[in-house]
Amino acid sequence: MATQATMYELTFIVNAVLSEDQIKEAIARVKRNIEETGGEILNTYEWGSRRLSYPIRKKRNGYYVNLYFRAGGDFISRIERLMQIDDDILRYLTLKYDAKMMRHYERFKGDIPRQRTAEVKASGSREEEEDDD
Amino acid sequence: MVDNTQTGSRFDTNTIEYVDYKDVELLKRFINEQGKILPRRITGTSAKFQRQLTRAVKRARLLALLPFVADNVR
Repeated sequence: MATQATMYELTFIVNAVLSEDQIKEAIARVKRNIEETGGEILNTYEWGSRRLSYPIRKKRNGYYVNLYFRAGGDFISRIERLMQIDDDILRYLTLKYDAKMMRHYERFKGDIPRQRTAEVKASGSREEEEDDD
Repeated sequence: MVDNTQTGSRFDTNTIEYVDYKDVELLKRFINEQGKILPRRITGTSAKFQRQLTRAVKRARLLALLPFVADNVR
């Protein structure tokens, strides 16, 4: 019991054709599932509706949600199973975080992906501007 | 095609500890117009980076952040 639960990242795409309420409901459902299976949600970032690079189930757009949670390893298969069953979810990806990824996460926490590149580019030429305190 | 990668800022990929699949802008610099991952021989990245990159691109493709194939022109 002393061991700390591992952190996971779960990104999923909700069918953007649904109404706003339905999307909200789908996200809430996923969160509920995680909590009910024994996970602890740390952070949720909604990227919003984005154009998909290729159509999935004939949809061109998807509502992206990126969330972080802690859970035991045996919960993942259960959570993934629920994701699979949910018809409103087009795709999902679960990643287990190792030490390297944790450092990366701590550094960029809350940033939308576009900002990350900006920093990488900047670090090549001039001093990085870090605003973490 | 080669100019695409050769020109522009060749920033140091060695400073990147973890290649995040969410960082689409970064990944885009290492794929061609077709959506294929460019070989190391062209981009000049380290083997370590290339391995991480490959993984990240594949993850991004799964989530439709990047295309598997992009032959949209013609």
